[in-house]
Amino acid sequence: MHQRSLSTKLFAAVAACGLALTAQAQINVGVTLSATGPAASLGIPEKNTFELLPTTIGGQKVNWIVLDDGSDTTKAVTNTKKLISEDKVDVVVGSTITPNSLAMIDVVADAETPMISMAASARIVDPANPKTKWVFKTPQSDSLMADAIAIHMKANGVKTMGYIGFADGYGDGWLAEMRRSAQTAGIKIVGEEKYNRTDASVTGQVLKLVAANPDAILIAAAGTPGATPQKELAARNYKGKIYQTHGVANPDFLRVVGKDGNGTILPIGPMLVFEQLPDTNPLKKSSAEYIGKYEAKYGKDSRSTFGGHAWDAYLLLSSAIPEALKKAKPGTKEFRAALRDALENTKELVATHGVYTMTPSEHNGLDNRARTMIRIDNGKWVLAK
Amino acid sequence: MTPSRVALLAFLALLIAIPLVAPQFWVTLGNYVGLYSIVALGLVLLTGVAGQTSFGQAAFVGLGAYTTAVLSVQYAVSPWLSLCAGLVLTLALALCLGFITLRMKGHYLPLATIAWGISLYFLFGNVELLGGHTGLTGIPALNLFGLELRNERYFYFLIWGITLAALWATRNLLDSRPGRAVRALRGHLEMAEAFGVDAARLKIVVFVYAALLAAISGWLYAHLQRFVNPTPFGINQGIEYLFMAVVGGAGSVWGAVVGATLITLAKQLLQDYLPLILGKSGNFEIVVFGILMVVLLQRARDGVWPWIARLVPAAKPPRLADAPPLPLRPQPSITTGTLLDVRAAHKAFGGLVAVNNLSFAIQRGEILGLIGPNGAGKSTMFNLISGALEPTSGDILYDGESIAGSLPYEIARRGVGRTFQHVKLVPAMSVLDNVALGAYLRGTAGVVAAAFALDRAEEARTKAEAARAIGRVGLAPHLHDAAGSLPLGKQRIVEIARALAADPALLLLDEPAAGLRFLEKQELASLLRQLKGEGMTVLLVEHDMDFVMGLTDRLVVMEFGQKLAEGLPAEIQSNPAVLEAYLGGVA
Amino acid sequence: MDLPIFVLLTQDGVTNGAVYALLALALVLVFAVTRVIFVPSGEFVAYGTLTLAGLQLGKPPPTIGLLIGMASMAGAMEVVACIARGEARQIPRRIALWTGAPLALAAVSWWLATPDLPFWAQILVTLALVTPLGPLLYRIAYQPLAEASVLVLLIVSVAVHFALTGLGLWFFGAEGSRTPAFSSASFDLSGVTVSLQSLLVVITSLALIVAFYFFFGRTLYGKALRATALNRIGARLVGIAPNLAGSLTFALAVLLCGFAGVLIGPFTTVYYDSGFLVSLKGFVGAIIGGLVSYPAAAAGALLVGLLEAFASYWASAFKEVIVFTLIIPVLLWRSLTTHHHEEEE
Repeated sequence: MHQRSLSTKLFAAVAACGLALTAQAQINVGVTLSATGPAASLGIPEKNTFELLPTTIGGQKVNWIVLDDGSDTTKAVTNTKKLISEDKVDVVVGSTITPNSLAMIDVVADAETPMISMAASARIVDPANPKTKWVFKTPQSDSLMADAIAIHMKANGVKTMGYIGFADGYGDGWLAEMRRSAQTAGIKIVGEEKYNRTDASVTGQVLKLVAANPDAILIAAAGTPGATPQKELAARNYKGKIYQTHGVANPDFLRVVGKDGNGTILPIGPMLVFEQLPDTNPLKKSSAEYIGKYEAKYGKDSRSTFGGHAWDAYLLLSSAIPEALKKAKPGTKEFRAALRDALENTKELVATHGVYTMTPSEHNGLDNRARTMIRIDNGKWVLAK
Repeated sequence: MTPSRVALLAFLALLIAIPLVAPQFWVTLGNYVGLYSIVALGLVLLTGVAGQTSFGQAAFVGLGAYTTAVLSVQYAVSPWLSLCAGLVLTLALALCLGFITLRMKGHYLPLATIAWGISLYFLFGNVELLGGHTGLTGIPALNLFGLELRNERYFYFLIWGITLAALWATRNLLDSRPGRAVRALRGHLEMAEAFGVDAARLKIVVFVYAALLAAISGWLYAHLQRFVNPTPFGINQGIEYLFMAVVGGAGSVWGAVVGATLITLAKQLLQDYLPLILGKSGNFEIVVFGILMVVLLQRARDGVWPWIARLVPAAKPPRLADAPPLPLRPQPSITTGTLLDVRAAHKAFGGLVAVNNLSFAIQRGEILGLIGPNGAGKSTMFNLISGALEPTSGDILYDGESIAGSLPYEIARRGVGRTFQHVKLVPAMSVLDNVALGAYLRGTAGVVAAAFALDRAEEARTKAEAARAIGRVGLAPHLHDAAGSLPLGKQRIVEIARALAADPALLLLDEPAAGLRFLEKQELASLLRQLKGEGMTVLLVEHDMDFVMGLTDRLVVMEFGQKLAEGLPAEIQSNPAVLEAYLGGVA
Repeated sequence: MDLPIFVLLTQDGVTNGAVYALLALALVLVFAVTRVIFVPSGEFVAYGTLTLAGLQLGKPPPTIGLLIGMASMAGAMEVVACIARGEARQIPRRIALWTGAPLALAAVSWWLATPDLPFWAQILVTLALVTPLGPLLYRIAYQPLAEASVLVLLIVSVAVHFALTGLGLWFFGAEGSRTPAFSSASFDLSGVTVSLQSLLVVITSLALIVAFYFFFGRTLYGKALRATALNRIGARLVGIAPNLAGSLTFALAVLLCGFAGVLIGPFTTVYYDSGFLVSLKGFVGAIIGGLVSYPAAAAGALLVGLLEAFASYWASAFKEVIVFTLIIPVLLWRSLTTHHHEEEE
């Protein structure tokens, strides 16, 4: 009797310790994104996606802490510092836009915490150095998409092109990449114009572009502002090809651009038109799962490629966290280092935008499977050839 | 140990405690509060005190940040040197912009600040060298005597050290010769110029001061975050700085710190707790923030600081030390004879002739009265002499030299002091400070000397001089009262004290007896006689006949802009034309 | 640049300038009567367009919610004020005016918001929903501060702008909308197409400018309204009710802004935060008019529109820099030539 009660007590004590340890061993994921401000049309779908995520990964409870940085760099940095020092997060996801992400790099590197950015510029993860070793990103780089456009243009006999894009980080990044891709493809850029998101009209810019008469025009914008130059071009009876970027891949754009959008071509992650993908494409299944969940909660056709970047960050974490758990406990410095290592070792992870394979020098990890060209046909997205 | 001193020490103790014991995030917030306070401080001076509303401070912050970013990243220049470069660049740009925009009065100025604020923002974003909209990474951390300030806790000391220094300097500035002039800039420009203040130049100096503070904040920001892009330097942030200054209390330097703290904390608290109340799906922080600010301003128009200041009983003003008098103004070369010669002065406003070829002269050492019915043109004549208006034709000579068309401060510089028909004191300033403003031309301390407290000796002399003038006019008990709290009659006497503090040779008094009681008038009359005995020359515009007849040596009577009569009081009293026009006709 | 391009750019500049002129009008109006620099004017432009866009989709627009919310708040404030003044008997009348009337309006709009509502009716409903927000805003935010300095009123305007922008994002979402034109007709003018819609915008603005100029400059009631800004007590002494003046002014100004929103919807995609830059450009126009003169304000706004159009042709990346830098000499010139009366603080 005496011995049994002792061993029972011992067992209870050990069990209690174990429970306590597992209770404390929750994983904190800090997220900063731009749900308000100029980048709201990118950040809101991301925020919506985070609300769909499960609260356990690999048997561990996951706490998603989502903060808004209002498209402001200072706020993004402040949020990151708060997440790291107050909420003791094991990993930071964010931010939505490039300048915010660039500003966060120093902070996460100093705190030795891995970071997954949802912004487009390759500068966030390149070149590999002691700081960027902590940084990963899910969206396709502008360079990948710009190449796709250049290739399509060349295949369709385009010799000269014009560019009109946002006067901000998004547009700047695209312009830089397009200049490079166009040069490689032997296409001459005959006009470069910029406009602001909230501009009432782009008559001047469009007139100048049309006067140069390029074979094709690329519009680099995000959200419905992408419709403004397009409608103006239609009003000016521009007959050349019009290309857009993945930034406009949302239903509101289709609503605003209306008939003037028919025939527009853009490169995007295949998830947007997953129904039209062949069954052999591995992305079809993962996209169906994500978009099914998203549209069940937010409505039919509410899908957005930006939300996909958030979901892909989750998929990266869901594959990396179990690996990291084998080496360390959450909430410790070792765990964060192990998580970083696990992320870097991601191989052939099928996500919604593409298949990720990370290496020490490649922290984006996408290849040509992450892009496809689509066209707007009668107000719908259709796979282009 | 006065209560305010205790409060100050408590504040300093809290400030130091934060980086030593508080959680990391508090230090982060504290750093940002310090950075914003520096900029808001400049705005308190520029907008709160001098009345020049500026939305463009964020652009200067950007200038300071980008200068150091480009120099230290692209050219590997030491950050301390790039601070100097940033300050020089800001100085140059602020001088240019200030020169153009500060000429604008009223509401043109805020818009001009918005205009160049937006221009600079887009310039930052479109120039490749500055990294465009994506920004510049890799800014090095600051190195202070071998200690690399990567850690926020160390940086905190640097930021707050600078903030406290800026507070100290601005405080000194406000309580000094240029400070008094700046405090008079808002709404009392004419008066300040009458005492020798070069208002245009002073406005630019204040503007540059605010710009330099902003640039320092930008430099600190760049080395704290080690990344810059245009977003924090746009018009939205410019608006927010002004917001902080006004909500905190734009009238006092502490308002800057209070405003910065309040706004930063409010936003952080809203971000933390609002989703718990209103649910996660919306983004209501900015809405609630806006509503809270409106409610706050409705309850506290002058900002939050005055509330806090009331909690701490005001310190008794320090006893004035006995100090030697300021150097006297140079006296006019003429010791007897005509001091002021008005020759056929003529002023027309369009078709209306206010002063019609008027001529008279004031002898050195006499009290001349200028009287006439309402609308006779006395005030216009007065303004022609003091420089507030320019004569259409004719000449006015002071001490043999023409002063017609000279600016008020040039005339003041010659030794002419004046009072105003509508009392123009700075109501919020003490009587002592108001009178000390009169001695502006007798001092030389500039903004730099004042900010670094190098002017304390001269300041003591000035204050002693002002106290003496106040004692002479019999208002010694009210030395430290706010000028606006005195009854109108006493305010008029303060104006005379102020004019005396300028040590003038010619005193222009515009209806000094209006609003005074009988005994007060008698005291004023005896004061003026005393001054005359000391050699002062006085030109008096007045309506009270008893006062005038008993005091003046000679009288000039005006009617419809022309001279009706001139002579001894007794002669005027029996002059039939004067009696008919003014004194009530022959009985 | 050849003639057709020049004409097109001019047309673009004039059309945009006309919209900025409407905003400039509203700004001058509000300042002249209440000394408030009406920063949130842009938000009401956006609300106008987006409300109409909502009605176009056949659904009750979210503006109804805002109307109800503000009406309730105003009603509550009136009750408190009446009790504080000891005028409890006034309460039913006050509530009927400040809460009852807007709520009735909201209800009617809700009922009318169906897909088969004709276009002209949709515009009327839009204006009916947006306009009451003006006096309600005045009552809630500005009336308690009527005696405050211009600077404090300006800061309050900024705070209101923040709140309304945030509400705009919540109501209308981050994406923008366009609305149909009154008419898609266009005609040829020496080889260049001019759209009827642009012409309508310009003509409406002109008509309103002339009307305001006469109303405020020549009629007694207009002058009375201006008097309230300079001296509230004096105005009350001669029988002008400053609060009523303020409410009416805000109603008129917001009506102008809402109407401007309806006018620009066909040309531009309007977002929840488009308003700020548009109102800023209107502000430039208003300042060029010295915040007193309607024709000068309209001319200034037109100048901004034209500068913008041509700058976006010549150097689109630096468009804002050009427009705002060139404005400065104009401001300088205006400042030096107007006789300025120094504000007594």
